[in-house]
Amino acid sequence: MNSFLIHISSSSFSSLSAKEGLDLALVMATFEQPIDLYFGEQALSILNQKQNPEQLHGKDLSKALPSLEFYDIENIYVCSEDIDKLDDNTALWEGIKLLDRESWAQKLQTYEHILRF
Amino acid sequence: MQYTLFIQGSPHASKACHSAYKFAHALLNSEQHSIEGVFFYEDSVLIANELMQPPRDETNISTLWKALAEKHSLNLYVCIAAAVRRGIMNETEMSRYELNQYNLSPPFQLEGLGTLVHLMSSTDRTIIFR
Repeated sequence: MNSFLIHISSSSFSSLSAKEGLDLALVMATFEQPIDLYFGEQALSILNQKQNPEQLHGKDLSKALPSLEFYDIENIYVCSEDIDKLDDNTALWEGIKLLDRESWAQKLQTYEHILRF
Repeated sequence: MQYTLFIQGSPHASKACHSAYKFAHALLNSEQHSIEGVFFYEDSVLIANELMQPPRDETNISTLWKALAEKHSLNLYVCIAAAVRRGIMNETEMSRYELNQYNLSPPFQLEGLGTLVHLMSSTDRTIIFR
């Protein structure tokens, strides 16, 4: 059973929250804690591969996604209903696992700790 | 039961630190429970600023936490990365960044996120305040 979930729902351009959530995920993985990630709501924008922020906008967190596998963070979940609402041309990062909302609601109950950012 | 408290919300823009304080107070006054550590992350780290001076007729939530920590020998951990980027420094970080002042208010202490991981995996419950 996976114990930790970092649930990211804020945009990386509106606050530091997503960045600090991702930082925590990496530290937890470094300490060999089983950790899964979930991206929802405003944080879906982080999965967009075609973004070109200026430095003033904040860090492009999408660039950090490919490094997750080196930390053995393999389960990065997104609800398929959320993806359906996005523009068809959105270039989404391919490392995500899609779950429908019902499956996600069930999965959510399996985590011992859920941290939201 | 042993608890970890994880606080994320700003002491100014949220009531996370206030709710956590009330919860900690209740826990520590019961005999069945203990708090292994309180970990401040994100904007909650601003609570450790020694220079914070709310008007006298308002609650100083930082002072309340410090008094509680002193009374119960409570560990108040502040994430070092989150603190430094927000200008909360201890003497060591002041030197590291070649500054000439520091403002971390003891008994708040700077710690890495590894301390949080250790707390969460070694206590029975983690309660989160956003």
